[in-house]
Amino acid sequence: MKLSLILATAALVGTSAFAMQVQAQDAPVNLTWQMWGDQTDQALWQSLADLVTEQYPNIKVTPQISGWTDYWTRLPVLASSGEIGDIVAMQSMRMPSFYSILEPLDAHFATDSFDVKVFEPSIVSGLSHDGAVYGLPYDVGPWLVFYNRDMFKAAGLAEPAMDWTFDDFKAAADKLTAGGNFGYATQAFDYIAGPVALGAEYFNDANQFDLTNAGYAAAVGKYVDLTAVDKASPVFASGASAVQASGRFASGNAAMYIDGPWSMISAAKGANFEMGIAPLPRGDGPSRFITAGSGFGIAAAGQHKEEAYKALQVLTGPKAAEILASAGRALPGRLAEQHFWYDVAAKDVKGTRETLEYSFEHATPFRLNETWNEFENLMTQYMPLALNGDNTTEGVLADIQSQLP
Amino acid sequence: MAVVERIAATRAVTRKRKSRPERGEGRTAFFFLLPSLIGVTLFLVVPIIASVVLSFTNWKLLGQPQFVGFANYIRLFTADPQFWPVVRNTLFFTFEYLVLNIIISLGLAVWISSLKMGQRWFRVIFFLPTFTPGIAVAIVWMLIFAPGGFFDFVMGALSIHLPNLLTDQKLAMQAVIIVSLWAGVGYNTVLFNAALDMVPANYLEAARIDGASAWDRFWKIRLPLISPTLFFGTVMTAITSLQVFDQIYVMTRGGPGSATATLGYSIFQKGFQNFQMGYASSIAWVMFAMIMALTAFQFWLQRKWVHYDN
Repeated sequence: MKLSLILATAALVGTSAFAMQVQAQDAPVNLTWQMWGDQTDQALWQSLADLVTEQYPNIKVTPQISGWTDYWTRLPVLASSGEIGDIVAMQSMRMPSFYSILEPLDAHFATDSFDVKVFEPSIVSGLSHDGAVYGLPYDVGPWLVFYNRDMFKAAGLAEPAMDWTFDDFKAAADKLTAGGNFGYATQAFDYIAGPVALGAEYFNDANQFDLTNAGYAAAVGKYVDLTAVDKASPVFASGASAVQASGRFASGNAAMYIDGPWSMISAAKGANFEMGIAPLPRGDGPSRFITAGSGFGIAAAGQHKEEAYKALQVLTGPKAAEILASAGRALPGRLAEQHFWYDVAAKDVKGTRETLEYSFEHATPFRLNETWNEFENLMTQYMPLALNGDNTTEGVLADIQSQLP
Repeated sequence: MAVVERIAATRAVTRKRKSRPERGEGRTAFFFLLPSLIGVTLFLVVPIIASVVLSFTNWKLLGQPQFVGFANYIRLFTADPQFWPVVRNTLFFTFEYLVLNIIISLGLAVWISSLKMGQRWFRVIFFLPTFTPGIAVAIVWMLIFAPGGFFDFVMGALSIHLPNLLTDQKLAMQAVIIVSLWAGVGYNTVLFNAALDMVPANYLEAARIDGASAWDRFWKIRLPLISPTLFFGTVMTAITSLQVFDQIYVMTRGGPGSATATLGYSIFQKGFQNFQMGYASSIAWVMFAMIMALTAFQFWLQRKWVHYDN
């Protein structure tokens, strides 16, 4: 009697322990995913979240989508109040400000011997901080020149070569400026990506802003003169976002503007002319381009990091990359899936594959620090003064430098 | 002596009898007020105290705040190259906007009250922008004023050579003021119009019989009689204009350069773009002090020109 009781108890304990184990393995886990986007993107992100559940039936990912600008205001508030989601979308340029809320991924890579070599190397370094990887990318891209092929043809201009120089760019912009149309429509970021392509540096060796160095000031000055002296571009207003330049380009009022592959599909859709893309013009030295992109990381304060890592692998996996690339939403950070973007989404735009491959070959690390955001805002706010001749390029750069810590 | 004691005892009893229901009523009142009290405490008192505390820290939203004493205020008044231009811009905006707003809204109110018909329609028309969301108004105006936009087109068609309003250092603030006036004049117009309608007709009648001109009737009867409303409108408009933010956020982002950077925008920029919450809080307290000082000044000034008809 006694023995059978002991046996029965042991069996009971054994089964319940087994049951608990089974339950622990398959316990449903709900993950929230902090993401930006607009109404039209919602279905796309949801389809990626569904991929996770398809592969891991116990993991359910719920996207929490907010607008781009609001996203960056909400994120630190959510993080400091402990309300942040398990998976967090991050842009490479904001990594220096936000890496502390994310989990370093290298330890996770060790568990499934994952190799980040499947991604374009410049964006992996963009989503890293101090040598540790904090996010896996879903898209990547260099800044490029978008141009109106019809306007080039009408002006009798040859289309840009891969290694065209600033003088070529300037000559084209000047020639295309006629009859109320502009050769080029400038915006704030041109004064960051443009000078780097010309070989200039905005940082000193200690990774601190050094905007008044002669090389950077001269390179910015070259771009400024296109607007201030040659009148080949309208002045941009500090309040309006990038819409101005892309709007002028789409309406045929400007023949060229600088943007990235993330806007290429919408630019091509909005244009009723043939569109081409070319690398940024180089200076006297060889071409070099900065790239940016976005990816997803795991919140350092999250409760389900292992599950979040599994979900992260799916969200940045081959299938997800194929979906995003074919829809034209992103040029994948994954090298093997980039052809979906070239062959499906970007098939009507001339020179995408050559230009992007050339740009990636000549990619240079995008140098950032924790005050990058301030710098970009100040550029938007102050550059118009140099463009409309109220101040010199050197004066504006000195003004911005004085306000940076 | 006994009488005195008796009286005292009676008084004590009365007091007791009286105070019991009073105390009960007080408790009831307290519970009735509790919902608002909790609301005010949670959403007003606590944040105000928190912002005072924050202004003495270097909190960056992420991570733990550290106490830094008066460092934020010292940086604000001595080291920040942007602070004094921002204060100047704020005062400039407030002064110009306040004066124009009061003149235009008073002019419109007088004009509407002089109309024989359609008064109600005009009141509604001028009041419309007041209940249109500020951000939406600013976006539409930004598109009108944008380089190569509708305003530039009209000016070009009229052969008026004007630099673009939003990219010119001197004109950008004027663009912000135009938009603020468009959006803000209606409220004061309706307010002043209502006050003008309250002026007793027999005063004006008597003045007319005595031979006072329309000009005299306005300056010597109507204006003094609506002065309490005019004072209220001026104080409220001054307070809201010191806090100006929406239009600037949408139209200029403080630019070009620092031409339209105001205290309200500066708080947003420092706090939510650069994540310097402690520093932003100290700017907020400077703004609070300015609003207090200006309002106190206006209250002091009102003794000289506001007439209360009692």
